[in-house]
Parts: sequence; C-alpha cells; structure tokens
Amino acid sequence: MRYAVLVPEALVVALAVVVLLAGRFGWMPRTSRAYLPQVTALIVLVAFGIELWAGASVTTYFGGALIQDRFALFAKAAALLTAAIALAATDWAAEDSLHIGIAMPLLSAFGVMVAASAGDMLGLWAGLELAAAAAVVMVSLRRPDLALRLLLVGGVATGLILFGLAFLYATTGNSDLSAIRDVLANRAPTLALALPMLLLAAGLAVRAGLAPFHVAGLPAGVGASPLGAGLVVGLTAVAAGTVAIKLVTALIPIPAVYMLYADVLAAVAMVGGGAAALAVRSPRPRLAYLAVGQLGWVTAGLATHYRSGIAASLFLLGAFAIAATCGPALLGRAEGGEPAIAGLGAVRPVRAAGIGLAMLSLAGAPPLAGFFGELTVAAALAQSGNFVLLGLGLLGSVMSIAAVIGTLRVLYIQSPLEEARRGAAAALPAVTGLSTAGAVAFCVVIAAYGVFGNPILGLADQGAEALGLR
Amino acid sequence: MTLSAITQQSVGAGIFSSAFLLSILIWLPVIVAVGIAIMPNPRGRYDTLIKQIAFFANLVTMFILFIAYNQFENFLPTMQYEEKIAWLPAIGVTYHLGVDGPGIAMLMLSGLVGIASVLASIGIRERVRTYFALLLLAQASVNGAIVARDMFVLILFWGASIVPIALLILGWGGPRRVGAAWRLVGYWGLGTAALAVGVLALYAVTGGRTFDMDTLLGTAQSPRIQIGVSIAMIVAGATRLPLFPLHGWLRDALAEAPVGVAVVVSGAASRLGAFLLLRVVIGAEPAAAHLLSPVLAALAALTVGYAALAAIRSVDIRHAGAYLAMVPGGITLLGLAAISPLGIAGSVLSLFTGGLAAALIAGVCATVSERAQTRSLLLLSGLAPRMPNIAWIFLLAAFALLGVPVFASFASEVMTFFGAFKTQPIGAFAVAIGLAITAVALAALLGRVLFGSPNSDAPGVSDAALGETWYLGILAGALLWIGLFPGGPKIPGTDTPLFDPGFVSQIAAGVSDITSNYTLPASAAPAAQ
Repeated sequence: MRYAVLVPEALVVALAVVVLLAGRFGWMPRTSRAYLPQVTALIVLVAFGIELWAGASVTTYFGGALIQDRFALFAKAAALLTAAIALAATDWAAEDSLHIGIAMPLLSAFGVMVAASAGDMLGLWAGLELAAAAAVVMVSLRRPDLALRLLLVGGVATGLILFGLAFLYATTGNSDLSAIRDVLANRAPTLALALPMLLLAAGLAVRAGLAPFHVAGLPAGVGASPLGAGLVVGLTAVAAGTVAIKLVTALIPIPAVYMLYADVLAAVAMVGGGAAALAVRSPRPRLAYLAVGQLGWVTAGLATHYRSGIAASLFLLGAFAIAATCGPALLGRAEGGEPAIAGLGAVRPVRAAGIGLAMLSLAGAPPLAGFFGELTVAAALAQSGNFVLLGLGLLGSVMSIAAVIGTLRVLYIQSPLEEARRGAAAALPAVTGLSTAGAVAFCVVIAAYGVFGNPILGLADQGAEALGLR
Repeated sequence: MTLSAITQQSVGAGIFSSAFLLSILIWLPVIVAVGIAIMPNPRGRYDTLIKQIAFFANLVTMFILFIAYNQFENFLPTMQYEEKIAWLPAIGVTYHLGVDGPGIAMLMLSGLVGIASVLASIGIRERVRTYFALLLLAQASVNGAIVARDMFVLILFWGASIVPIALLILGWGGPRRVGAAWRLVGYWGLGTAALAVGVLALYAVTGGRTFDMDTLLGTAQSPRIQIGVSIAMIVAGATRLPLFPLHGWLRDALAEAPVGVAVVVSGAASRLGAFLLLRVVIGAEPAAAHLLSPVLAALAALTVGYAALAAIRSVDIRHAGAYLAMVPGGITLLGLAAISPLGIAGSVLSLFTGGLAAALIAGVCATVSERAQTRSLLLLSGLAPRMPNIAWIFLLAAFALLGVPVFASFASEVMTFFGAFKTQPIGAFAVAIGLAITAVALAALLGRVLFGSPNSDAPGVSDAALGETWYLGILAGALLWIGLFPGGPKIPGTDTPLFDPGFVSQIAAGVSDITSNYTLPASAAPAAQ
C-alpha cells in the first residue's frame, strides 16, 4: 500500500507511452480510435480518484527525492483533473494527431506531478522541463517554426533556471529544499542569494509566459492546435508556478531576496495582462493574456511570504490550471479571430458557456473560481499591507473583465457566420457526446470551485503548511 | 418624530419563517435564469413562455418578499431572517445573510423594480432567452448585495451585477450602446475595486480573521483608518449611485439601455451605492462620518444641481430622464450627511422612494421616446392629447421626483431636509436650490413634451401599451400607496393593520441602531437646543 500513492503517476505515464506506441505502430484498429479519448479521460479520472484516496498519506520516496504531502496532493489532483477535463472537452477534429494529442497532455500533467512532489532541485527542474517539452511537441505538429522558437525560448529559460539553481546550491551547499530552508534560517539576505533569485525569477517568468516575458513564448502557443495552446498557456505555466511556490517556501526565512522580483513581476503581469487582453480582440490571444494576468495574481500571493498568501496562490493556481488549459481546448479552431466564435452561444451553447466561464474565471469575475482565488490572494496582500500591489491587481482585473465582456458579446449577441462564409479557420467545433460532457464538467468545476471551495482552500492551506509555513 | 417612535408589531409577525428565505430571494432568480438559458427555443417559438416564466419568477419572489416584509418584526433592532454558514473558514468567509429595516426597504424596492423591469421588457423581440436570463441574474445580484452580511459576499454580489448589465446594454441597447456599456464597466469596475480595497483594509486591521460585517463594522477603528476606509466606500458608492463627479456612465447607460434595464439600473442597482454608505460610513465609522459629512453634503448639492442644470440643457428626452434620475440620489446623500437621526431615517425612506422615483422618471422618458419614435426634444411637443396614459404617469413621475405631498417621496424629503438643515445648513440650502432648478427642468420638459403645440413634423405617436402602463403604474402606485398609507391601512375603528403593517414602521427596525452614534445624550440635549 505504501506505493499506492505513486499509482496515479504510473498510470499517467504508462497510458501516455502506450498511446504513443499504439499510434506509432498502428496497434489500434481505426474503429477503436474513436473511443481512445473517452478511455483515456476515464483512466485519468480513475488516477484522480486514486490520488484523492491514497494521496492523503504523508510519506517520502527515493531517499526524500519525492515527497507526498498535502501540497503534492493538491497540485497533483489539480493536474489530473485538468488533464481529464481537457482531454474530454477537446474537439479532436481540430487536433493534428490523436495519439500525440492524447499523450502530450498526460506527460505535461506528469511533469506537474513530479514538480509538485519534488524534494530537491533536480525534481523541480525535471518536472518543469517535462511539462514544457510536451508543449513544444504539440506546437511542432502544426507549426514547426513556432515550435523552434518555443524551444529556443525554453532553452533560455532552462539556462536561467539552471544557473539560478546552481548558484543557490553553491550558496547553501544543499539541493534538498527543506535543508536549504534550514540553512537559510539564520542567514541575512546577501547578494549571493539575491543574484540566483533574479536568474530563477527570470527563468520561471519566461517559462510561465509572465509579462513582459510573454512576448517570447506566448505567440508560439497561440499558433498551436487548441490543446497545444492549452498546454503552453496552462499546464506549462502551472508547472512553473508549482516550482516557484516550492522555491519560495525554501527561501521563506529571507524573503527580502525574492520579494522585490515577485512584486515587480506580479504588478507587470496583472496590469499588463489585463491591458493586453483589452487591446486584442481575437479570442485565443485574449484568453492567453487573461491567463497572464491571473498568473500575476498567483505571483502576488508569493510576494506576501505568509502562509495565507502561499495557500491563496496554490488555491488560485488550481483554478488557473483548469481554466487556462481547458479554455483554449474549448475554443477549438478560432484562428479566424472573433468571427469564428460569433454567435457560438446559439449554435454550440455548451461549448460557448465553457469558453465564457473560462474567460470570466481567468479575469476574476464573480462568482467563479478565479474570483475566489484572486480575492483570497487579495486578502493575503491586505494582511501583508501591500495595498499598492492589491490596487494594481484590481485594476488589471477590471480591465480583464471589460475584455471578457467584449468576447461574451461576440459569443452571445452577434449572429453566427453563414456556413458558406466559414473557412477552415472558423469551422464550428464538432459536437460529440464526450466533448459535450467535457464542457459540462468544465462548467460545473469552474462554477463550483469557489461555491464549494472550503475543502479545496482547506487542502491548499494544508499544502502551504506542509511546505513548512506556520 | 423619528421613525422608531412609530414602530409597532404587525399582526402575526414571526409566524412564517424559513431558514433560507433570503437565499430564495437570491437563488430563485438564478435558477430560473439558468433554466431559461438552457431551455430549447427553436426560432423563438417559446419567446412568450420565457417572458411569462421571467414574470412569474419575479412575482413569486415578490410574494415571498411580501411575506417576509409582513412578518418582519419591526420592534427588533437586530438582523432578521439571518442565515449563517461557514463558507471559506480558512480566510474567515461566511455565507451570512440578514436584513434590518433599511434592508427590507431595499428588498421591497428591488422586488417592485424587478416586476416593473420584466413588464417593461415585454417588447423585446431579439434573443429573448438570453435577455431574460441576464435580467434575472442582474436582479439576483442586486438582492444578494442587499442582504449580504459578510463583506466577501457583498463584494461578490456587488461585482456580479456588472457583467449581465453591461451585456444587456451591449446586446439590446441603442445606437451608442458600445460606449455606454464600456463606461458603465469602467465606472462600476472602479467602484468595485474601491469597495474591495476598503473591505480588505478593514479585514487587515481587524486581524484578518473574518469578513463578517458584525466584526468588521463592529470593531472600533482609529479615525485615520475610518477616514481611509470611508473614502474608499464613498468612491464605491459614488460610482454606483451615482454622484457628481463619478456619474460619467449614467447618461449614456440609462439613455441607451433597453427600458427594462434602465429601470433596474436607475431603480435598484444604483441605490446600492447609498445603501453601502449608510451601512459602512454612517453606520460604522462615526468619526469619519462626522469629519466627512460636509464633503457628503457638498457632493449631494453638486449632484442635484448638476443633474438639474444638465436636464435643462438636454435636447434628448432620455438624457433628460437620466439626469433627473440622479436627483433622488443626491437627496438620499444629504440625509446621510445630516448625521442626525431624523436625516438618516429620511435617507432610509428615500432609498426606497428615490429608487422608485428614479426608475419612474427614467422609465417614462424611455417609454415616451419609444412611443413617439424620437428622442429629440426639438420634435417632441404637445403629446398629452395623443398619449393620455403616459401623460398622466409623466406628471406623477415629476411630482414624485419633487416630493409633492401624497407621494412617499414627500415624507422622505421632509425628513431629510428637516434633519439636514440643522446640521448641514449650507448643504441643505444648496440641495434645496438644486431641487428648485429640478422643478424648473421638469416644468420645461412637461410643458414642451406634453402641453406644447403639436409638431406636425414629428413621427407618429401612440399611447402606452398595456405592459408599459402596468410597469409605470406599479412604480407610481407604490409611491402613492406609501404616501397615502405610511403606517399601512388599519381595520376600521381599530389600530390593527389590515394586510400591510406599514412601510414606514417596518423599515424603522435597526435605524435607531445606526443613528445611536449621532444621538445626543439625554442630559446634553437641552443644552444643545
């Protein structure tokens, strides 16, 4: 039973490998392929159930390299649920490859799971790279040029992160996160610590696509298939966010070495994301910028260096993971800009509701998941007395909500394009039982996340406590 | 005489109770809205049914509300129909609802305005399902903000009204709807941000344990904190009510919105601004209220004066109606600025009467423009013979706005001015001058539109349809009913209420609690006189 906790990871990886091999060697008859997304989503849901059931135990594996605590439970459960809903809600007719399209979200979710339960720097880095690499593969299927760009940007991010981690290791003499915290307990903030944190902050910001670094990687995500965009905008950023939370908690004894970076990044992302979302009209870039804005709120929670702030960041990261990953998947083919989704509320009501809720949640509009997460972070910011960042965040949210109202208008108030005028870029998403069920599940989760948020926030709070915060 | 002096227990008070009565008022419209939104409606086949569902949902809500109003125990200073469930205990959020006298006044206003807005929307032909779903969501969010007793819940419902109302204007508004909707989102968004900052400041200074109003507003704060929080709340309230100079959204929003939405915005949603100021600034921050009351009085005077002058200069009847709808907000604010028991009691009554009067004037101007097929005051002339029903209601709206006796607004304005002349004489005098200019604006408007020489170049005119007559009649009738029977009708020869325990009696509950900070001690009263 001790290893039951690792069953979800094993299931996800095994499933990804089997699906990839089945696609490569043609093991699966054409008639059976149609059921592959259903079966995969179901297995991921089973893994999610096992995680909730078995993941409550607190234990370590591989000499402390992997830690199963409440933080890991929260992040892993969020990644699994996100992957299951994304796989179900995707319009597979709009994807470039069924097998790779199924396998890569699983590997990306696995990357998040590895980062969430990592006990040392190596695990953090490996998880982040795995999540990001899966996104590059997805982008390369449709746009190899953009995939190359994403790979280069990712390489820069990796370099910055590795340099930062190496400096941190050199300064503290440890790669184990809890040991680093113990070493730093009696240290004063020094340049030798501030420098690696600058590199780490920059690297993670590039990986997550935080403004102003979003200009490097985000266009690549926007050019990918719907699910590919979801991986770039959503799960990769979630992996970076998870790594950031774990690093911040290791450095919590001397918050002065990272707080300024977190403050600046959060402010620029919250305001910049909102402003950029208002400036663009095409739905997919708008959704990506909304995600940038919400990621700024996650960063703002880290800037508080309080348990309540870290818990709030984690709570918001869960809401962000679901909305930012599944949002592009629900959008489907929307390369044609606003006309592609005009009147979708009339012709594809469930999918349109999902798109609307994803955007509203990312904007922080009440009463959806993002609102609860952002206000929880706002409460932590108020407690830490950081009213400037709070005000900037609220400004960004107001701009984001205004941007979403523009998209809702297109979805529900404009008339749909005539069929004859629809090109491939504006093709309507196919309606299947699975995609409808996925969209409904997404709507329910986003609406219920805050309304029934007590156990979720409680778990996030326990997660922050598990990281050693009191 | 204060309101508390005439409180009395209504017959059968407390017989009916429900643990979820206030939740029903919020969630019933939400459930119906979701039901409407997912209801199949091929080629608009069920448009009429959807309108009926929305109407009966409002009627049922109003019926439940009337029971709550009837059973309201006006002798209790505490919150009633309270619901308290732990929601997010990690940050101290509770699903805490409750109403006192001002709250029940606001709920009755919201209920009446809700019915009126559906009746005013009967003419909607396009995307009926979406329209009524959004309208019900807007009403539910207003109800939620009224009954919220937890600041987190208040921010939630306060902010939740922005999206549906903006979409209603964008989707069914007039030619300048896009600008109108963005302005509304900008101002209301700014107000919501200010509300959040104020609430979170209170949350932080009280230890960050709870968002419950009883704690946040019940804990004594230093004057510095009180002033900071009060300024944030005044910004939030001023964007919603609206008050000069944060009124930039009002003209276009009310002029471009469909009639039903204009009624909801001017009648109920905007009154939340004054309700917030009553609850937080006047009710809980006495030091700041004393210090800022001249500012509030100045804002009231500027609002009323600006609205009246702008109405005079308008050449668009809907613009004129929008500006005139600002006037009651200024009067409510004057009552709050008075920080005297009589002034505050007057402003509580004027929350209700001002909401109805604002909805009535905005609604009647919109209906005239629709029936006359033009908004231009250069063309609208001599309509009284051709639209007698609307002409009568237009007259009633003007009287109600000015506070002519027999209308409920008379009592509220008398109480407000009597309260304010003592403590804010300059402000009260300035508001009175503003009200006189409003009378001139109304006289000019009525004289030109109804009683001028008929314009042969104007488009064809028709009188109000049945739905329009009813919605305007409901708003005017409520003002007349409370003006004529402020204590409710009695069984002949007795002092027992017939079926209405008396609006003025019911809304007095809890007012004494709010005004206790501003009541002179008994020993000091003669000296003060």
